[in-house]
Amino acid sequence: MKNITETAKNTKIEELQNRLSELIEMAHTEKDAKEKKKLIGQISKCNGELERVKSGKLITRQTKRDLVAYSFIAPNFIGFCVFTLIPIIFAFALAFMNWDGSNPLSFEGLNNFRRLGGDTFFKAALKNTIIYCIGTVPLTMVASLALAIILNQKVFGRGIFRTLAFFPYVASLVAITSVWKLLFHPSKGPINNILYTYFHVSQENLPQWFSGGLCIVSMILFSVWKYMGYYMVIYLAGLQGISGELYEAASLDGAGTWAKFKYITWPQLSSTTFFVVVMLTINCFKIYDIAVMLAGGGSGELTTSATVLVYYIYQKAFIDWDLGYSSAVAMVLFVMVLAVTLIQFKLQADKEA
Amino acid sequence: MKKKVIGLMMSVAMLASILAGCGSQPAATTGNTDSGNGTVASSGSAEVTGDPVTLKWAIWDESTTQYWGDLKAAYEAKFPNVTIEMVDLGSTDYMTVLATELSGSGSDFDVVTIKDVPGYATLVQKNVILPLDDYIASDGVDLSKYAGATDQVVVDGKLYELPFRNDFWVIFYNKDIFDAAGVAYPTNDMTWEQYDALARQVTDTTFGSQIYGTHYHTWRSTVQLCAVLDGQHSILDGNYDFMKPYYEMVLNQEKDGVCRKYTDLKTEGLHYSAAFSGGDVAMLNMGSWFIATMMSNLKSGEYDSSLCGNWGIVKYPHAQGVPAGSTLGTITGLAVTSASDTPDAAWDFVKWVSGEEGAAVMASSGNFPAIMTEEVKAAITGLEGFPSDDASREALNVSNLYLEVPYGENVSEINSILDSYHGSIMTGEMSIDDGIAAMNREVSAIN
Repeated sequence: MKNITETAKNTKIEELQNRLSELIEMAHTEKDAKEKKKLIGQISKCNGELERVKSGKLITRQTKRDLVAYSFIAPNFIGFCVFTLIPIIFAFALAFMNWDGSNPLSFEGLNNFRRLGGDTFFKAALKNTIIYCIGTVPLTMVASLALAIILNQKVFGRGIFRTLAFFPYVASLVAITSVWKLLFHPSKGPINNILYTYFHVSQENLPQWFSGGLCIVSMILFSVWKYMGYYMVIYLAGLQGISGELYEAASLDGAGTWAKFKYITWPQLSSTTFFVVVMLTINCFKIYDIAVMLAGGGSGELTTSATVLVYYIYQKAFIDWDLGYSSAVAMVLFVMVLAVTLIQFKLQADKEA
Repeated sequence: MKKKVIGLMMSVAMLASILAGCGSQPAATTGNTDSGNGTVASSGSAEVTGDPVTLKWAIWDESTTQYWGDLKAAYEAKFPNVTIEMVDLGSTDYMTVLATELSGSGSDFDVVTIKDVPGYATLVQKNVILPLDDYIASDGVDLSKYAGATDQVVVDGKLYELPFRNDFWVIFYNKDIFDAAGVAYPTNDMTWEQYDALARQVTDTTFGSQIYGTHYHTWRSTVQLCAVLDGQHSILDGNYDFMKPYYEMVLNQEKDGVCRKYTDLKTEGLHYSAAFSGGDVAMLNMGSWFIATMMSNLKSGEYDSSLCGNWGIVKYPHAQGVPAGSTLGTITGLAVTSASDTPDAAWDFVKWVSGEEGAAVMASSGNFPAIMTEEVKAAITGLEGFPSDDASREALNVSNLYLEVPYGENVSEINSILDSYHGSIMTGEMSIDDGIAAMNREVSAIN
């Protein structure tokens, strides 16, 4: 019995050795780099197999080493799998199904996506989200860049102003929305009182800051104010990375402030700007909390003039329990964010090339 | 090689999760059928043998609502072997949280409180609560005691909840304001026109000392549901033209300063109780649950009795040609979860709470049980702090009760649509006609 296995082993070893020398020969003569790489891969595989057969052990030393390495990745990777990867894959799959969270899943094909076209609330949410993004991204970028440039100079009380600009970002959203609602209260707020008293706006024409078309404007203003401090800090870091010599050389050549900004500051900041724009866009598409807090009132329900995609996803999923349809809306959001980000990456790559 | 291993690990992980997902559901269902079979054999055995049973019960606002604790204490005193474990899910989004808790197979609730009909519809469609008909039949529960309320929540011939609390809408009014204005109090037989005129009579728009003739909370029900009281319409209709006169009435009142503006209320999140207890609101349309709140908060001194201590209630106004006494109702029910290990014990608890004994406990703290008997009414009107006039006592006699939201298949979606366009109309984003047209269009699209 043992003899047979012994012979089988020997023949196997011989076979592998032949194959190995054959491969090495081939690798020597092969010219194409890609093919060569492939062959080398095969050689090491063959080597490993040979070693395994010779030693008679189940796993080679190399595999053992690999396993140890994977075991180090495992804790993080398992967490990522369970909490991120699988839910994402599941959400993709759900977009083509009908599910209420308890009853068995049923396959719907593209029906969920077909429903989107005729859904007034979805269209309103999509429109509002896009308007909000178009308003917020450039405004926040310009405001934070301006702040950064001003506060990068040696102005009096620079530290205090930097802190003040950063403060809204740190403050709790719930608290500051309450303050905003107080300030912009349609009949008792100081803003409308000033409009009424000093600008003689009649009572019926006072702006209703948190309803109708103005609602999105309030949301944009609010988020620019809240987030400009954060992006200011990023710009400040970018500004401090620009070498002072460039400005010195430019002033020797007689460049004015605008020329310095146009030819030195802006190009030098391009990678910072890229980061800021990508982050801003992604965050803007995800807007939910600001809308609910500013326009939701006590019940947190949004009308068509204030509804946004993430809110609609939540509503469809956890109030109406239409998880499939909700995932379809989420896919639309995903595709939008992906497309915008890819375009930005492309533009940045072109710029750098 | 490495790529392969990662790929392998991913597929193993996915496979495992899929298997886990599939595995749990059949297990849960078999569990149900088992316990279902057990029903007949061991009905009431928990009582006889006295096996210790723990029931997990989903509720809201334990600290501010007295009756949860009262019911638990009374039931545990009567059945010492049963322990009721209350889990407070908060009132703001109770039904959403509950539906999430009951999704999947990880839930261990035995009894859940059903706060509203859209939420009830969701749970029924998710198959997470049990139909109670077999229990009702075998224990001989007489559904006629609930005065037709249970008929409005029957789903495909099956009933999944038993109501233990039944609130109906009345008009609360502040007698001091009417006295100061020299206007007669509201009566138990008012039409909406009379109510509107009365509200305008007591209104004072002088800046700094405004008196609002009436107040509408931001809920859809405060405006829209005045319209369904004629008995011919329902919010499931799909055509909402009948709501127009009521929107007109409220928006005109808003324009003339008779009530606070919807946009103001929405912005500041003013609660109706704060509005009424502030002493500048003459009339408030609200559910009877506010009676208990008024009584207990005036007693504890939380509400200033010089501002709102002299209050009364009258029946809801009615449309021309409809007799007085029709009003809106909201039932609060109990249901047994399909995941419960001890559905029989859970049913016993549900039966007791929604029965006469539970009703007595509810009435003792000024709440309205689903079973309204003369004794219950006497118990409530006899409580300290209940308005002493005859009209207030008479206001508790309801002739017709229409549920705010009767059961319908798409009731949850219809609710969302109506809520949204109610907001659009009240904020002035849409005209009344446009808003109602949008409701008609959207609701007919889902039906």
